[in-house]
Amino acid sequence: MTPSFGYSIVYVADVVATVSFYEAAFGLRRKFVHDSNLYAEMETGQTTLAFAGEAMAEMNGFAIRANRRTDLAAGFELALIFADPHDAYRRAVAAGASPLKPPEEKPWRQIVGYVRDINGCLIEIASAVTA
Amino acid sequence: MTASARYTELPELADHASGFEAVWVSTSDRNGPYRVLPDGRCDIILRFDARLTPITAITVVVTGPTTRFYDIALQPGMGFVGIRMRPGFFEKILGFEPSGLADGNLTGGDALAALPDFETLCAPALDHDELAARLAAFVRQRSLSSRFAPAPISASIISAFHAAGGRLRVGEVAAMHGISERTVQRVLIKAIGLKPKAFASILQFHRALRLLRDHRLSPADAALEAGYADQAHMNRVFRRMGGFSPARLPDVTLVTLGE
Repeated sequence: MTPSFGYSIVYVADVVATVSFYEAAFGLRRKFVHDSNLYAEMETGQTTLAFAGEAMAEMNGFAIRANRRTDLAAGFELALIFADPHDAYRRAVAAGASPLKPPEEKPWRQIVGYVRDINGCLIEIASAVTA
Repeated sequence: MTASARYTELPELADHASGFEAVWVSTSDRNGPYRVLPDGRCDIILRFDARLTPITAITVVVTGPTTRFYDIALQPGMGFVGIRMRPGFFEKILGFEPSGLADGNLTGGDALAALPDFETLCAPALDHDELAARLAAFVRQRSLSSRFAPAPISASIISAFHAAGGRLRVGEVAAMHGISERTVQRVLIKAIGLKPKAFASILQFHRALRLLRDHRLSPADAALEAGYADQAHMNRVFRRMGGFSPARLPDVTLVTLGE
């Protein structure tokens, strides 16, 4: 059986603050926040976007480089698809995202922009790719 | 080295907001040394004779942050109730900084001289549960009414060191936060009483121990994953910090570090 892609879990300093930021900046909705405030999931369709507290990494026995807004971004991005990426970019920046590259149209007709979230993670703000 | 004390954490009494991550009890059932590993934490401990009811003659001990192991000489019936403070909360709870206590402690009269209010912890108690509740209430009250607060950047710096299992250098943690190495050093010494390199070494040692004991990695794999230069490097650190070899792990207590 081919595996399915279930989750992206981003380790963050403050799970609750990150969930609130993703709601305000990108219009996502929270699906679940654990009582410990160390784990949360967003409503993102088939593939879940989740956030875990940095203490969870330690509890699980692995070591990570923490994501910080003031640090070099880690080598991955999360891509969110919007009907109007230009408007989404403005809203995200107004809600506290760091502007990185305003949306522009790519040769393949997709509109793509980039911000960094409150933890310094790279977020792509894009339109759907149309055939 | 004998694990001759039963160590139990009471998770329902822990109170992160008030600055303590664990309340624990321990009772010795035999003679022998009990090895305490460095964990980068400071504890407030009540020591007593657990065979007496009610419990009287309670001694207060404040342990400073340690950088290497030490052995306690246990006798049957020695009882302990302790609170492990979260990093960054020592001054908020006790009113003075932990740096003067590195690799040391305040015992009995010295503890009372540093904080006369400790006297209230020494009243007779029915059992260790009463002592544990008394100690938790004491620390919570101290924390709530304190005029000290950890620096806002303190939690983020400590969490970055923890999440990395001690593998980040002080320069990297400084760069991540857009501050100087001197600031990281100052914040950590104030919060924990140790220099960044010593704190990171302790976290790295604890993670390597867990990789060996809980993840059952081979010493070579554990050394690599924990970030030691090689297995010989890990061996040297284990001998200095734990007094044992990675190939022959004793039955030591690994406390829950929850940052």
